[in-house]
Amino acid sequence: MSDEPFDKEEFVAYFRDEAEELLQQIDGDLLRLEEFVDSGQADPEIVNSLFRALHTIKGSSGMLGFTEVQGLAHKLENLCDLLRKERMPLSEGSVEILFSGRDFLTDLVQAAIGQSASPSGLIEFTGRLDQFVAIYNETSNVIEGRAPDRGDGGNSAGSEPMNEAEIAAFEAEVERLLAEAATTSPPAPTLPTTPVESVLATPRATAVTAAPARGSAENADAKKGAPQGKRSSLAQTIRVDIDRLDALLNLVGELVINRTRISDIATTLGRLMGDRALKASIGLIGPLSKDLADSAALLARTTNEIQESIMKVRMVPIGQVFDRFPRTVRDVAKARGKEVQLQISGADTDLDKTIVDEVGEPLMHLLRNCVDHGIEAPDERERQGKPRMGTIALNAYHEGNQIIIEISDDGGGINLDKVRAKAIKNGLIGTEDRLTDRELIELIFTPGFSTAEEVSDVSGRGVGMDVVKRNITKLKGIFDVDSAPGQGTRFTIKLPLTLAIIQALLVRVVDELYAIPLDSVIESQRVEMPDVRTVHGAEVITLRGQVVPLLRIADFFELGGERDPEKVMIVIVGLQGRQVGLVVDSFEGEQEIVIKPLSDVVGRIPGISGATILGNGSISLIIDVHSLVSDAYAGGKVTRAEFSGV
Amino acid sequence: MMAEQREEKKQQYSGETFQVVSFRLGGEEYGVDISQVQEIIRMVEITHVPRAPRFMEGVINLRGQLIPIIDLRTRFGMNRADHSKSTRIIVTDIGSKRVGIVVDSVSEVLNIPVENVEDAPEMVAGIGTEYIQGVGKVDTRLIILLDLSKVITSEEKQVLETVDEAAE
Repeated sequence: MSDEPFDKEEFVAYFRDEAEELLQQIDGDLLRLEEFVDSGQADPEIVNSLFRALHTIKGSSGMLGFTEVQGLAHKLENLCDLLRKERMPLSEGSVEILFSGRDFLTDLVQAAIGQSASPSGLIEFTGRLDQFVAIYNETSNVIEGRAPDRGDGGNSAGSEPMNEAEIAAFEAEVERLLAEAATTSPPAPTLPTTPVESVLATPRATAVTAAPARGSAENADAKKGAPQGKRSSLAQTIRVDIDRLDALLNLVGELVINRTRISDIATTLGRLMGDRALKASIGLIGPLSKDLADSAALLARTTNEIQESIMKVRMVPIGQVFDRFPRTVRDVAKARGKEVQLQISGADTDLDKTIVDEVGEPLMHLLRNCVDHGIEAPDERERQGKPRMGTIALNAYHEGNQIIIEISDDGGGINLDKVRAKAIKNGLIGTEDRLTDRELIELIFTPGFSTAEEVSDVSGRGVGMDVVKRNITKLKGIFDVDSAPGQGTRFTIKLPLTLAIIQALLVRVVDELYAIPLDSVIESQRVEMPDVRTVHGAEVITLRGQVVPLLRIADFFELGGERDPEKVMIVIVGLQGRQVGLVVDSFEGEQEIVIKPLSDVVGRIPGISGATILGNGSISLIIDVHSLVSDAYAGGKVTRAEFSGV
Repeated sequence: MMAEQREEKKQQYSGETFQVVSFRLGGEEYGVDISQVQEIIRMVEITHVPRAPRFMEGVINLRGQLIPIIDLRTRFGMNRADHSKSTRIIVTDIGSKRVGIVVDSVSEVLNIPVENVEDAPEMVAGIGTEYIQGVGKVDTRLIILLDLSKVITSEEKQVLETVDEAAE
């Protein structure tokens, strides 16, 4: 059924999403399967789940004519079948070959949808796979003659026929649904989701992993340290909870009704205006205008709710990103000869899709770092009286308008002496420099900094921590590191829930209102002029013993205006430990604002990150704290050296 | 303007006449093809955008959409004028971009027969001629016919240059 007249592109996009989700699930299943290697006996639930996922991939790739994917999925399915029928023991080798098979499958899916070239080494691998299957097929064929009755038949005899029947029924169902999906003439994008979703429901229900099996937009394969950068160029889609869309639809319905009501009232009012017998009608105007006011209020409320709903539609659980980490950690740990367990919590914490997409790579890097640099080798851990297996905890939770992601390990912590030595060697600091522990930790974010003794293919190339920090900052996030020698390291990332709506402090400068994102505001205060001093010609104030440079918004934006000779109104903003006092004319309160990009309207304006429309329809520009703070330090008059020397 | 270009235009503008919205700027009268005009609105509060190019007067809120406002006087090297009751913003779409153009006042919609349109003189009031389609004669009035898309396109180039400078 490959040449049916259906919208192939749409199905390819759908296939990609589905395959990503299933591959993710397969990864999870394999990780769980691995735990049973010692017993040599696989949990049939897991094997079935694997089998079904592979079968679905086989089916949909076949439908789209992706024969390579189909072929490999088929072979892997056979392997699972052997496991399922217990013809093949669960061993280190069989799990390993399944893992590689899964990786090849991922590559083939990417190749099929045109995201990458065909993987190399595939032929060797399938050869190995065939051999593997052949060995067990032969041995078991003999047994098959007298089938289910084997030495250990007791438990399998009872469960096997049932599983078989289950699988057969399931296969039939998959076949039917796929056929249905293929013959339905070009459906609306959301339509085909329903039938296949119900298929997916089965493996998902059996999954016992902490996080629900969800797809993620990229393939991040730790083992190869592989090319992960290229994001799919196919249309970006997200799967949306149908309830959320229904809520949205209801609200739109209300909005439409209300709009009609308002225009009715307006029409009536208009007619009254033209009415000669206005005197008779005048009594009606009172209630009508009250109606209008009510209607307008309702409209406003509905609009707000719609806005919130749309924001929620954009929210996806961060588990989408977390799901691929257990595999990464496993692979890195294996490669470095370490024993590590990853504990994930808070995978169902929601945040904006765009942020979810961007946060994966930095987190991945941090986790690799934890395994590679944080967790000690098992023997070393034993010497220190720690359990041989190190623990990395990945946790996410909401706090106010932010999401907090924590990664902590129980490894050796950051070795500050090493950091110091390395920094001196690299010429970042002088031998005489006295740095606080915090400042030393900050050094690991310097580009090219790495304390790893040898360059491994995992980390230690010295690219990374600076990139991690930059990526987090780009998402308007805050990145923090705590480390206790011998006890471990904790990375804390604070991210805004969404980049589209923020809480802001409105300030007036000359005669315009500006919005300063509240997450970077530390405090605002009035300072008397005598307390403003100058260092090297730059205005500074002392705030709790710290010297804070001032930046006059009016000067920066060349707005003119007069200076108050007696006092300055200051908003202290902070970015990565640096503080700047923005001088404004007055504070105008806090407000939630919707960010509208300005760059595509007037080009990029230094110091301005966007604009917002306020309740009264007027426009307020949003101040780009990041660029102002960097400007105040780098381009400005106060350098760090002078600054700390005061 | 070359004669053949005008020939082309003749076909483009439904054969016989140029249908233009005429407006005043300084002491002169201009016209833009009516198909380039989305709407004409009264002056609203313009939010100044600091460090934006000089001709960029700021941005306005048009039914929830941010629209950059271009001051045609500045663009054409004339003196800025205070906004008055007759000041209007001509809203026009250039590609996917919507921009507003501030003019002193909007007069009327004119039909100018093609034979009454002449090539622009080489030098017109300091304006480069690339966005002047020609000069239309209506009775004793002279209407300078502007191609707004050309005015905007060269502005955009300037904006981009500004952005590049800022990036360095």
